[in-house]
Amino acid sequence: MALESQAPHWEWYYIAMYFFIGGVSAGAYFIGSLIELLGYEKHRDVSKAAYTIAFPLICITPVLLIADLGRPERFWHLFFSNGPNAPYANHTSPLSVGTWALLVYSGMAFLSFLNVLVEDGRLASPALKKAHELFSRIPHRVYAAIGSFFGFFVAGYTGVLLNTTARPLWASMDPWIGSLFIVSGASTGAAAVALVMERRRILSADAARSLQAFEQPVMIAELGIIVAMLALAGRYAAPLVTGLYGILFLGGAVVLGILVPLGRQLTRGMLPAEGSSGVALTSALVLAGSAFLRIALVQAGQR
Amino acid sequence: MNAKGMFVDTSICTGCKACQVACKEWNGLTGEPSHFQKKAGYPYTVASNFSGRSYDNTQNLSATDWRHVRFIEQFSEDRSSGRWLFASDSCKHCNNAGCLNACPVQAIVRTDMGNVFVKQEVCIGCKYCIPSCPYGVISFSEETGTVHKCTLCNDRIHNGLGTACAKACPTGSITFGDVPELRKKADARLAQLKGLGFAQANIYGYNEAGGLNVFYLFMDRPEIYGQPEQPVVPQDRLHVSSGLTVAAAIAVAVGAAIAFRERGMKNEEKKSSKV
Repeated sequence: MALESQAPHWEWYYIAMYFFIGGVSAGAYFIGSLIELLGYEKHRDVSKAAYTIAFPLICITPVLLIADLGRPERFWHLFFSNGPNAPYANHTSPLSVGTWALLVYSGMAFLSFLNVLVEDGRLASPALKKAHELFSRIPHRVYAAIGSFFGFFVAGYTGVLLNTTARPLWASMDPWIGSLFIVSGASTGAAAVALVMERRRILSADAARSLQAFEQPVMIAELGIIVAMLALAGRYAAPLVTGLYGILFLGGAVVLGILVPLGRQLTRGMLPAEGSSGVALTSALVLAGSAFLRIALVQAGQR
Repeated sequence: MNAKGMFVDTSICTGCKACQVACKEWNGLTGEPSHFQKKAGYPYTVASNFSGRSYDNTQNLSATDWRHVRFIEQFSEDRSSGRWLFASDSCKHCNNAGCLNACPVQAIVRTDMGNVFVKQEVCIGCKYCIPSCPYGVISFSEETGTVHKCTLCNDRIHNGLGTACAKACPTGSITFGDVPELRKKADARLAQLKGLGFAQANIYGYNEAGGLNVFYLFMDRPEIYGQPEQPVVPQDRLHVSSGLTVAAAIAVAVGAAIAFRERGMKNEEKKSSKV
């Protein structure tokens, strides 16, 4: 265990927020693309809502990531080595591989987003229409499959990135943070889809039930992983369970973000018929809890 | 070419800090900005890093302190008995370097002489190397927006000179040279000390992090000197961590397939039963 490692001083409003927003986007996308890949036509509206969320959200993330760099104007070094002047990736660095995954994922999210706009007849730009015609020669499922894979990658690599450092909190929770971020991305993706569909008043009882059936076991798994992580970390978990981050993590992420929504779903169900504000509140709690989870974990690890 | 490195024999370090000064001088390093604060009534910033409890003045390594003579001051309450231990610390130029493994832009490279070097013109300041160093060596500078650490005097060693700190060391505690030669010297010194009854004496850096090109002879456990007993190169855990994440992703995908299909099929059944 590292005694002497230094904190990177990543700002919560850049890096933890990226982890959160990237997780929601990727979670929504892999739900949408899995539905498309498996050919569940019944849930096309869920899939469409997911794609509508995924792309705009992922557009925010490069801004956050570049803003946290010490030399933002050099961000392109991540893709193009200015040594041998060639595309570059470092396979032992989750940050490097993750940056490429984010690029590919954003591209696929963009294509799926355009598809939804065309399907709804909302694509006005002639240039984009032409672009859409061009790439429509490729079956939708091909880029849904690629996007789905990289969506999972984007949701999960950030956890691996934290695990493979020498910071005591993050290292002691190895190898679980990646899995935690995968399940948390999945539950927030589902919550975001439910929230958007409910706001647009297109959340059918069937879609709500399916989203809930997906979300519940995922949230239970999330709880299990958190317990395992805390047990594994032992005394190194202290920064995460005490002080401000303790309140954020235990109160915000675990109680408000997982236990309360889970309790609400189990007792009341997530059905529009039972009051649409209920769906909105449950989803908002899941989303806020996930943001607290990432802020607490990223910042406590730097304490 | 044999890797170049340094052997730091802490048993003969007197804590004079000549190495710290030589490092600052040669590499043109300023005072550590975080050690200086504005103080009311003074037109200039005032140093605030004097604890009043220790002769250790920098306390750790930083982007401008590439060498740090660590003072281990162990005294009894009434100060009637005690011991001083000193160890001049720096980047260890690990053979399996966490910072280099983590760098996403090839800014951290290993030269033909085995030293780990940060290319200032390439570094983007992502700061991922900082938590990836098990020794807490590499540090970020707000002034340059990039990370800095000891270069093993890259310019000097590539021009036939030794490192500035080794050159300045008045007791021979820091020696520069080919790593195999230095190891021979270290082994001989350790045998000598053991013979004199220093049972706790040990060499730190033969196996840690793939072998350290800058290694130490300590008079007590490495922990006393602030060095991890078993440093783990973080990337050694990459495969297990990635594997479990992939497994979680597959589980979630299966969960999605079941959650969305189940409802669909039930409805199909309902519909067909109605017909």
